Amino acid sequence: MVNDKPTVALTLGDPAGIGSELIAKLLSHRQVLEQANVVLVGDEWLWQRGQTIAGVQVELQPIVSLAEARAQAGGRPLFLAVDSVHPEEVEVGTARASGGASVLKVLDLCLAAVRDRQIDAICFAPLNKHAMKQAGMPFEDELHYFADYLNVDGFFCEFNTLGGLWTSRISSHVPLKDVPLYLEKGRIKQASQLIYRSLQAAGVAEPRVAVAALNPHGGDGGVCGREEIDIIAPAVEELNAEGVPVHGPFPADTIFLKARAGEYDAIVTMYHDQGQIAIKLLGFERGVTVQGGLPVPITTPAHGTAYDIAGQNRANVEATLQAFHIACRMGAAYRAEANC
Amino acid sequence: MSRTLRLAITAGEPAGIGPDLCIQIAQQGHPQQLIVIADPELLRERAKTLSLPLVLHAFDDSAPAQPTAAGELFVVPVELAAEAEPGVLDPRNASYVLKTLELAANGCLSGRFDAVVTAPVHKGVINQAGIAFSGHTEFLEDLTSSEKVVMMLATEGLRVALATTHLPLADVPKAITAPLLRQVLTVLIRDLKTYFNAPNPKVLVCGLNPHAGEGGYLGREEIDTITPVLDEMRKTGVDLIGPLPADTLFTEHNLIGADAVLAMYHDQGLPVLKYKGFGRAVNITLGMPIIRTSVDHGTALDLAGTGRADSGSLHTAIDYASSMVQSKEHGNANS
Repeated sequence: MVNDKPTVALTLGDPAGIGSELIAKLLSHRQVLEQANVVLVGDEWLWQRGQTIAGVQVELQPIVSLAEARAQAGGRPLFLAVDSVHPEEVEVGTARASGGASVLKVLDLCLAAVRDRQIDAICFAPLNKHAMKQAGMPFEDELHYFADYLNVDGFFCEFNTLGGLWTSRISSHVPLKDVPLYLEKGRIKQASQLIYRSLQAAGVAEPRVAVAALNPHGGDGGVCGREEIDIIAPAVEELNAEGVPVHGPFPADTIFLKARAGEYDAIVTMYHDQGQIAIKLLGFERGVTVQGGLPVPITTPAHGTAYDIAGQNRANVEATLQAFHIACRMGAAYRAEANC
Repeated sequence: MSRTLRLAITAGEPAGIGPDLCIQIAQQGHPQQLIVIADPELLRERAKTLSLPLVLHAFDDSAPAQPTAAGELFVVPVELAAEAEPGVLDPRNASYVLKTLELAANGCLSGRFDAVVTAPVHKGVINQAGIAFSGHTEFLEDLTSSEKVVMMLATEGLRVALATTHLPLADVPKAITAPLLRQVLTVLIRDLKTYFNAPNPKVLVCGLNPHAGEGGYLGREEIDTITPVLDEMRKTGVDLIGPLPADTLFTEHNLIGADAVLAMYHDQGLPVLKYKGFGRAVNITLGMPIIRTSVDHGTALDLAGTGRADSGSLHTAIDYASSMVQSKEHGNANS
């Protein structure tokens, strides 16, 4: 019977990592089913292995296609079994092309279904970029893969979220000396707008977004760098004039204190370590990555495959739970958007 | 039993919270002799505004050092040029502020004081008065003819020294050179031994780039500059770890056993300190012939005279200055 809940696909991630045990733990939480129609997409044997490692047993209801997910939703999580990788091709704790190919096959199925609105969101377990590249993925990371699959031509970027705080960054994996090259008014505006709208999509009606400065003490009035005066402040002013109420620029050494005190929902950072140092101090084990700028909701825990502890039932499920919660909220908005 | 230390405290910008903080910390007794260098009238006025008791004693060099009783302070008087109103900057008082610093630093050099603890000054108003002034650190560096000073911030369980300080971010990569790192690390290691009871200091060194350059893919400064300097210095027996990715280095678990972290730039290290410090962080200048610690905050003009200023950082700065003096003397006694 069709209900009002969003339908959210879960994947098991890289088969050599902690993904299957995390999803088994996640699905053993009762409240998970209250928030969404859950459909697990993955290999039967891997799912069994995950349950064994986690020491849980969850009854699933098989389906044959994601097209019937919404109609089949009932008391139990749904399960679309796929044949993407065989146990003998997987060595726990080792990145392999077979694992990467498995991840790509499962994600392709989910991406097509969420694009076609058969489902409303994807929450995927950690994957391994190198394994995916070995399997033929011609992109630097999964976000670019998604963007290509979904024909995205606008601005997109990753958001890191931690509890109620979201961050995005103007420049990411680039040498520090190249950071100033990314400081363009247009990029700052796009990134700020994107996180603002994405927070709205995740259920925050009036997001409070702060933009970080680039230089020490925010440039100290131009004495210590001019990007704040020449680029960042004008971008903030233009956004405000266009009806996007973002604040800043604020010095990096105080902005995260304000955010920790609950003054902001999001911070747009200028470079990788500006945000990542703070995020890891605030509690990385709860961090979630939201794939921003895509037409569909996709989330994942911020941590990786944790090969070193895979199979030991030591993986912490907290980030996966948070990633699932956000996928549910964004999935509900995605579904509502189709209905109006 | 250890001797009574003589600590000079400069009250800093008279319109800011510096005088308030001196009066606030005087509300409890201290084992050190705390000697504030300021206009005594200013302190009395501000105490009245804050409704706090304050008895001032003129500092007498010839008398033996004595602890500071609750509600009291020792003072070396310097007269204000113009009356100071809380929250209102007046360029006429710029030379007064610098005079207090000079007296304190010279007093440390001559042995009159054991260390100086500085309350915040306002750079802008000093420059406005026509005096080029880029900060306490640089001013004291000149005054004490120091070759290379290093800014280090400290809080419970974490010390972070900076390879570069107030530089635009765009200028940081080219400032990270082998001679600079060698110089900074040499000062840092030496002063950790002298002032922080660390006979074999272990220092964690941050990379410059994200993920410490990830083998050259995200920048080459680690490979070309930082690693060679660390390798070279390790040959002299120094315990240097790194270059490490800055975002994982600062997590609790990775800091265990480290005496200090060397950050490559201001915002790589300071946000962490502020985050962990909860208003209890202190700024220390290494590489000088004198001991100087400072609060880690600014003049907070809007809080001056309100009683809402938090004296936590000044307390911490006094504690650090004292322990640095003790470590230095203890170390000397053993050598």
